[in-house]
Amino acid sequence: MAPPTGPRGGGNRNSKPTARTSRGGVAKHRAAARTDRDGDVSMGGPTPGSNPPTGPSGRGGHGRGAGRGASRGSRTSSRLAQNLKNYIGEGGSKHAKTTLKILGIKNSKAASNPDGGVKSLLQFIERKADKHKHIVLGRGTLEGDYVWVKANKDDVASIMHLNGYSYAGAPITIEETTEPFPTGSKFSKEAADTRQKLLALLAKRYNAEQKLLDLSALGTDDILGNLGAIGSQSLAEKSFRAIIHIAGEQFKTVEEKKEGIQSVSLASNEIGDVDQVFTLAYSLPHLRRLDMSNNKLDTLSKISKWKHEFRYLEELYLVGNPLTSLTGYATEITQWFPCLQVLDGNVVRTPQEAAEALKAMTPQPLPQLPSNLRDGENNVASIFLRSFFQLYDHDRVALATQFYDAESLVSLSATPEPGCDADWKPYMKYSRNIQKLGGSRNPAVVQRLFTGASLIAEMWRSLPATRHATVDQPELWIIDCHTFPHLADPSGHGFAMGLMINVHGQFEEADTAEELYGTRTFSRSFILGPSKAGAPHPYRVLSDQITLHKWTPRAAGTASVPVVAAAPAAPIALAAPAVAGVPVIDDATRVQLIQELSRRTGMNAQYSELCLSGTANWNFDLALQSFEEQRANLPHTAFTATA
Amino acid sequence: MTYVDDTNAQCAADAAAKFVSWYYNQINEGKGISNSYVTNNETYKNAGHPPADICVNGQVCPTPEDWEKLLAQQREAPKATTDKKHVNYVVDTYDAHVINADYRFGATQNLIDIHGVNDGVRMMIMVNVSGTVYFGVSKRSNEEYSVKQHFNDVFILVPNWDTLGKQSKYGKKFLISSQTYRAY
Repeated sequence: MAPPTGPRGGGNRNSKPTARTSRGGVAKHRAAARTDRDGDVSMGGPTPGSNPPTGPSGRGGHGRGAGRGASRGSRTSSRLAQNLKNYIGEGGSKHAKTTLKILGIKNSKAASNPDGGVKSLLQFIERKADKHKHIVLGRGTLEGDYVWVKANKDDVASIMHLNGYSYAGAPITIEETTEPFPTGSKFSKEAADTRQKLLALLAKRYNAEQKLLDLSALGTDDILGNLGAIGSQSLAEKSFRAIIHIAGEQFKTVEEKKEGIQSVSLASNEIGDVDQVFTLAYSLPHLRRLDMSNNKLDTLSKISKWKHEFRYLEELYLVGNPLTSLTGYATEITQWFPCLQVLDGNVVRTPQEAAEALKAMTPQPLPQLPSNLRDGENNVASIFLRSFFQLYDHDRVALATQFYDAESLVSLSATPEPGCDADWKPYMKYSRNIQKLGGSRNPAVVQRLFTGASLIAEMWRSLPATRHATVDQPELWIIDCHTFPHLADPSGHGFAMGLMINVHGQFEEADTAEELYGTRTFSRSFILGPSKAGAPHPYRVLSDQITLHKWTPRAAGTASVPVVAAAPAAPIALAAPAVAGVPVIDDATRVQLIQELSRRTGMNAQYSELCLSGTANWNFDLALQSFEEQRANLPHTAFTATA
Repeated sequence: MTYVDDTNAQCAADAAAKFVSWYYNQINEGKGISNSYVTNNETYKNAGHPPADICVNGQVCPTPEDWEKLLAQQREAPKATTDKKHVNYVVDTYDAHVINADYRFGATQNLIDIHGVNDGVRMMIMVNVSGTVYFGVSKRSNEEYSVKQHFNDVFILVPNWDTLGKQSKYGKKFLISSQTYRAY
């Protein structure tokens, strides 16, 4: 048949019901066909019993809104119907969309329409593609010579049927494509233009060497002047936000941005409240230097919105603002920015103090106290541990027979860091990490629990050889232990006391089979209880759990095993007794030093004195240094109450 | 001869799993944990059980509330800021041993009669937990922490007779009678 040259007569239109019960779930509730005044929501479909048309001709017979000439509906309401179908899950949601490219609109008469003829072309296709089915296309986009549109995959065949038809006096070519749908320009031409100009402004004002973004005196800037961004306040604020946003966009990652823009100058911008430039804090939270001089900030409240921002700000210039003459201005501002070291050219903090102040704003670990040994009066724990590790290193079978019996339980768990399982090979097959095993249904939960001295000894034999430091080197160990009641008495009657020992330390390891040598950090918990009659020792190990984790070298600071004082009773490792007769310093100086150290560190007078009189020998700097080193080990009672 | 059999080992593993997931979720969210100690359980108190032994980084906490206070102190930065930062415990591993399968302190004779030593109920369990604690993280991720530490928490759990008597699936089945905590 000849390609249609335009909209056909009414008969064809009438033959096409807009939607039917067979597809339109919405209509299912309706008993009878309905057509509203315009005929476009004729989704009611046929009366019960009448089936959707199947025949090709459809002349007259099916059109419910017959003769009204309106059954094709407006695009809007058809789309609404389609959306509803999609929403209730019967429509296009299960159909994949296909992208179509349509060529030919440029030569058509419709090209002179306000939208380039896109709308009327799509309407044409929707109308013509299928006589029996109302097709709904997506929103079309005119890109170059092509109109891009998305259609349901099911409809593509019918639409392709129109390939070669002529529309508004010009033949159209329709092709399927897998090319990405043109998203169109996000910006209008003007916006893109403005963006280019702002980029030029940034290029002019960014100093890569100093990593400085100089946005001072924007009021006199030619580019902004030309953009007309200066006259009004709101326009100026908008352009500032745009500038900051675009500046941020130039860096791919947060790290790059942090590195790329370290300083910003907003000097001489007549800023009366930082609210106007607040976004700076969000875009550049890691800013280190900020120049706000010669603006119009007149009270602290005008800058207080930045109070909790710029945690890493080191230098701030506010000279030339009225607020600098306020009393207490510098103190207040210094408090707001923990890292601030230079305010208006004056040093307000040393780098150390800045680090301290920043630290004070983040949660800190609890103080670390030395070993807590509460094992009764007989030093059972230290005696046991001494023999235990000695034997574990040299004769594990003897160890098992001496301290373990048929009821003793042993298990170990290893926690390799991701990707390092190979380093843990000797241990992994025994690792009873219940979390990793996924609970009690895993047979390994039972299999990897070693019960009885002989099984334990056997397992131990297959583990690499170890060397533990002697318990006489208390700095290498943390030992916490305490007694507890209500173990079963081995005689079968009544309760017995138990001793729980938790040991944290490290050992050298030599795995000759795998040729692995190294050091591991471990935590090991023992439950000691009374032995059965006839055992070599009055107590036995009821339970022994060892957890192995990655070794952290002790030089690496806080993450390592902490230093433990030799005597558990000593509250603080550095608290050596005051050396009598340190000649040069008189009492008044000492009091001063103690006060100063107390002020700087927050320790109370007693601990400050201990710190100064210890190894520091009244050298203030040494004392401060030693405080820093031992800080984590100090009990909270060492500090003056701050609450 | 021995009363340590599979049932007990499995039940102890399950009890540990429930306990560990509950406990660290509570402290990560800053919720209370003091009710899970024998110290605050009437049945144990009336039976004359000593308060739970809680030792945190070498410091003895006389009551569970003192430990809660330490956790709160640890959670809050000394200077409160608007973007409050958090402390997050992430458990890497835990293990559990039954150390007394015939635990009967504070139990009624009825409970002792019903639950045999191989039933995985009247158990005293040692649970050993290790993991990482992150300081100064947002609630969503552990990426931007200021400090991280390894932690090791060792508990002794005892049956909660109050919930054992009932068939309820709610309520803690075990209570803490001892806790030794170290983070470094």
